[in-house]
Amino acid sequence: MAPTTLGKALNMGLRKAMEDDPKVLIMGEDVGKLGGVFRITDGLQKDFGEDRVIDTPLAESGIIGTAIGLALRGYRPVCEIQFDGFVWPGYDQIVAQLAKMHYRSQGRLRLPVVVRIPFGGGIGAVEHHSESPEAYFAHTPGLRVVACSNPVDSYFMIQQAIATDDPVIFFEPKRRYYEKGELDTSITPEPMFQARTVRPGTDLTLVAYGPMVKVALEAASAAEAEGRSLEVIDLRSLSPLDSDTVVASVRRTGRAVIVHEASTTLGIGAELAARVTEECFYSLESPVLRVGGFDTPYPPAKVEEEWLPDLDRVLDAVDRSFGF
Amino acid sequence: MTTESSGDLATGEPAGASVPLVQLLTPDGERVEHPDYEFDGTDEDIRGFYRDLVLTRRVDAEGVALQRQGELGIWASLLGQEAAQVGSGRAMRPQDYAFPTYREHGVAMCRGVDPVRLLGLFRGADQGSWDAEKHNFHLYTIVIGAQTLHATGYAMGIQRDGAVGDDDGAAVIAYFGDGATSQGDVNEAFIWASVMNAPVVFFCQNNQWAISVPLERQTRIPIYQRAAGFGFPGVRVDGNDVLASYAVTKAALDNARTGSGPTLIEAYTYRMGAHTTTDDPTRYRVAAELDEWKAKDPVSRVRTYLERNDGAADEAFFAAVEVEADELATRIRRETQEMPSPEPTSFFDHVYVEDTPRLTRDREAYAAYLESFDADAAAVGGH
Amino acid sequence: MPTYREFKLPDVGEGLVEAEIVTWKVKRGDSVKVNDIVVEIETAKSLVELPTPYAGVVADLLAAEGETIAVGTPFFVVDVDPAGAAQPSSPAATGTSVSDASLAEVEVPTGDEPIEPGLIGGPAPGGRTSVLVGYGPRESSGKRRSRKTAQAAVQVAMSTQPAPVPAPPVDELPSALPTSPPEPDSNAHVTVLAKPPVRKLAKDLGVDLSTVRPSGDGGVITRTDVEAAAASGDAAGVDEGTSSPRPAAATWSREPGERENRIPVKGVRKMTAQAMVGSAFTAPHVTEFLTVDITRTVKLVERLKSHRDFADVRISPLLVLARAMIIAIRRTPEINSTWDESAQEIVQKHYVNLGIAAATPRGLVVPNIKDADRMTLRELADALGELVATARSGKTQPAEMQHGTVTITNVGVFGVDTGTPIINPGESAIFAFGAIREQPWVVRGRVRPRLVTTLALSFDHRVVDGAQGSQFLADVGAILSDPALALALS
Repeated sequence: MAPTTLGKALNMGLRKAMEDDPKVLIMGEDVGKLGGVFRITDGLQKDFGEDRVIDTPLAESGIIGTAIGLALRGYRPVCEIQFDGFVWPGYDQIVAQLAKMHYRSQGRLRLPVVVRIPFGGGIGAVEHHSESPEAYFAHTPGLRVVACSNPVDSYFMIQQAIATDDPVIFFEPKRRYYEKGELDTSITPEPMFQARTVRPGTDLTLVAYGPMVKVALEAASAAEAEGRSLEVIDLRSLSPLDSDTVVASVRRTGRAVIVHEASTTLGIGAELAARVTEECFYSLESPVLRVGGFDTPYPPAKVEEEWLPDLDRVLDAVDRSFGF
Repeated sequence: MTTESSGDLATGEPAGASVPLVQLLTPDGERVEHPDYEFDGTDEDIRGFYRDLVLTRRVDAEGVALQRQGELGIWASLLGQEAAQVGSGRAMRPQDYAFPTYREHGVAMCRGVDPVRLLGLFRGADQGSWDAEKHNFHLYTIVIGAQTLHATGYAMGIQRDGAVGDDDGAAVIAYFGDGATSQGDVNEAFIWASVMNAPVVFFCQNNQWAISVPLERQTRIPIYQRAAGFGFPGVRVDGNDVLASYAVTKAALDNARTGSGPTLIEAYTYRMGAHTTTDDPTRYRVAAELDEWKAKDPVSRVRTYLERNDGAADEAFFAAVEVEADELATRIRRETQEMPSPEPTSFFDHVYVEDTPRLTRDREAYAAYLESFDADAAAVGGH
Repeated sequence: MPTYREFKLPDVGEGLVEAEIVTWKVKRGDSVKVNDIVVEIETAKSLVELPTPYAGVVADLLAAEGETIAVGTPFFVVDVDPAGAAQPSSPAATGTSVSDASLAEVEVPTGDEPIEPGLIGGPAPGGRTSVLVGYGPRESSGKRRSRKTAQAAVQVAMSTQPAPVPAPPVDELPSALPTSPPEPDSNAHVTVLAKPPVRKLAKDLGVDLSTVRPSGDGGVITRTDVEAAAASGDAAGVDEGTSSPRPAAATWSREPGERENRIPVKGVRKMTAQAMVGSAFTAPHVTEFLTVDITRTVKLVERLKSHRDFADVRISPLLVLARAMIIAIRRTPEINSTWDESAQEIVQKHYVNLGIAAATPRGLVVPNIKDADRMTLRELADALGELVATARSGKTQPAEMQHGTVTITNVGVFGVDTGTPIINPGESAIFAFGAIREQPWVVRGRVRPRLVTTLALSFDHRVVDGAQGSQFLADVGAILSDPALALALS
């Protein structure tokens, strides 16, 4: 067991999946020879060949559409969309075809396709490389949507996603690609579509996913010094949304704050807040609060740190919650 | 010899006018030869085609009539395009796979799909109820052009299966219309098929109209020439000639299955009916155009050929085909009228391979909700 | 030039397949306006008159009387622009209108003609409007569908609340995760269930929710629970003997500048006021009075005080009154009922939870003795004593103040003769017990000093009629005048 970066954990998970099942393919722009612009697929084409690790034309709709055709033929394609902001040309194939074909065919056709998307900001990038589009997908029935936040989840969840017969949109927090954590590949992983309590607490439930989990944990540590015990939950699964885990927590703590990089309005937090309010009505000491990106397009790199939710904004929301 | 396509069509310029197209059976029912393609079948095969054409047309007419009577929400008529569909459909081998749009009822029947299943989709009872993998005929795709990428991906899968390269190889045929050639997905499919050398035949039924928008708004050059830009062969065939459609498609499929990659076939035909049953073509096209194309009817030329050639077919044969068509029409009419609507709770089914807990809860809650109403209260659907 | 429009046989509804032309109402050359009846057809169900969707000159009748044609068949042609003179050529393939020569341009509809059935925007079967892609929209009924039972609707609305999934066990966190979890002390935190407005009320009233006993379903603290908790403060109770209660909170200021005092309406005062208003202006109050000679009751009380069964318990005329009321309730049960407005029912209770109004410095509280009717006199005495002691020490619990069925208010403790008491909400009667004093009374024709008191009964005239109220009052009065009558009346 060695400290492993999140990106390397994904690479290891992809490799294992390809070893375990010859039908698994990887396809995307620059995934083969280059190993991906984040090196997530590094070394895989060399070992598995060009037929299984495919450098595709520069055409996102084509990537998803041909993946669907490959899946119909019995393959398990793992598509890479190079950056979150470039998924849009493929959005039609994702929501109109990938999400619906199982339903359309009344269960006869299965599309075990994984669409990997590096998402989120904090890498000082130019436009379109720091988006958080997860809500557009979580809002689409027929898709499963997950977000890993740490190396352990990355290693296991990518394999679980590939093994699922449903289409999975797999969000990877690109700003965390290079952060390390202990990875024991021998443990039995938890189910993929469940949230996890990553830090227990008693006073307030803090919910996050993807890149914001680390921010939430740091906020909880800082809050402890201030005498408040925050329980931190990593959602992990955005569709289905494991609101039951959050509800159980809020019934104990009575307060909730949800954090995500995506703009607050109509983000994942809005849905979770609605569910928590409905199911914890008698337990709530304060309304469910959300800390998200502002309702603007993602800003230029020089000011992105101010735009992104951070520890201060999270703790301010916690304070506000206690003020009710 | 080639035949000029008529140049005095209101929309003939230049995408249609004076372009050579492959023809093996003239509108007057005469066999003609072509340097590159031949129909090597027998008169028995041609009788089979005739039967397919008549049955296809009959099913299509039944669809129109049923819609008029409120039994279907809409029907997309293929009137005039029977030869393109039967010819290409019959050129497929059992191991080949077709990706249709939503008008390929003739191809469906060639692949053994019961036409009642097609009617179910337009009736709103389902969104495609035939077993795609059993018939190697994919469900209808309503998003224009999306299926061309699925077809290309499927063809890439065939390559990875090692099922390309000899006469027993498998090929894919992707159907789409003239309007679809403007869609990004179709152009992306051309790119992928060419750079991957995928075993896929792109079969474009150019029926001259995309609802009310004429061909000249989709392309400045004949559609078959687009393939050259992407680096693979294209050919225009008389889409109302079942023999030519068959021969050209067979050749293209064989090229694909033996590893020569994609072909674009432009079947030059005409949409005699409306886009769908509520469309009113009189708002955007002239009657004279219809008259021109009526003279090129795909079914009558085959009949004329069979009648003219002694021994090719007799009155008994034609009568038998009519009887078969009548019986088919009667059966699908009755089965359509008797088709049950799905149970409301069924709309929670098959969202995923495995239900999520919330879906299970929602289904149960909805069932309880329905249970709470009086049995004789009028249903919301009312269909 | 002439412009021809074909009228195709429409589906006039109900899946019409074909129809027979019965009678033409027009002929070639006639002028027609839109909606003029041009033909009578017979369907499987009835005779139908069809109006023309086009105005102009009738150009052609394409079907003869007696002929049966299918839906969708053109059967009637109108020249909508009769300025021209050319004859119509034979109709072309389905779906086209007849126009002369290939030179004709496609006519652009002017937009004010009615649209043919079956075309976009035109009528479609089933009362819908045609669209390109399906059956078309239809009107909704605007009414609710009828339910099996009212309960069914509510059950559906409340159904399938998800059971909370317990949070995954904390100790199974993969060790690789960057956490340093402190041990959770799950017992330290008391979770209370209350909806936000109730929480706010508790805050305003200064009530600690964790000390309130919940009475709502699922252990939810209700508004009433909070109000009751606020009412039972740590205040002195009632001494219904001789000492007067503590003075009221308000004081008279003699300061020259201090003309007014403003006390915020909250807490018990607010709650009491609400209850009073609710009761007084909902239930039609009638008060009846009866003055009785209570001498024998007072003498009985003296005797009981030295009875060994009652040696160590407080006895008073109030106890006898309580017992008398219970006996009288059995004879006039309406007194012990309640008016359920929402269910439109009168609930007759077969138990007596006897409330005793108690004045505390925090205000009025009304605890009740549960099942007073099942108690012996001794037990009743004990219960009464305990109730008073609890109220005096401010420890009355919310549950003790709930579910009362009838109340006694002891105004006599203040030296007041009688009053017109306001019924405790949820009950139908309240009994005011006044001061007992020596007064002249006629006894067997002579005026003698006797111990006399005036009894007052207020009752809810929705539930209790005058006859019943009077009977009850008379019974109580009779027993207090002559306690031995209790033997006969119980």
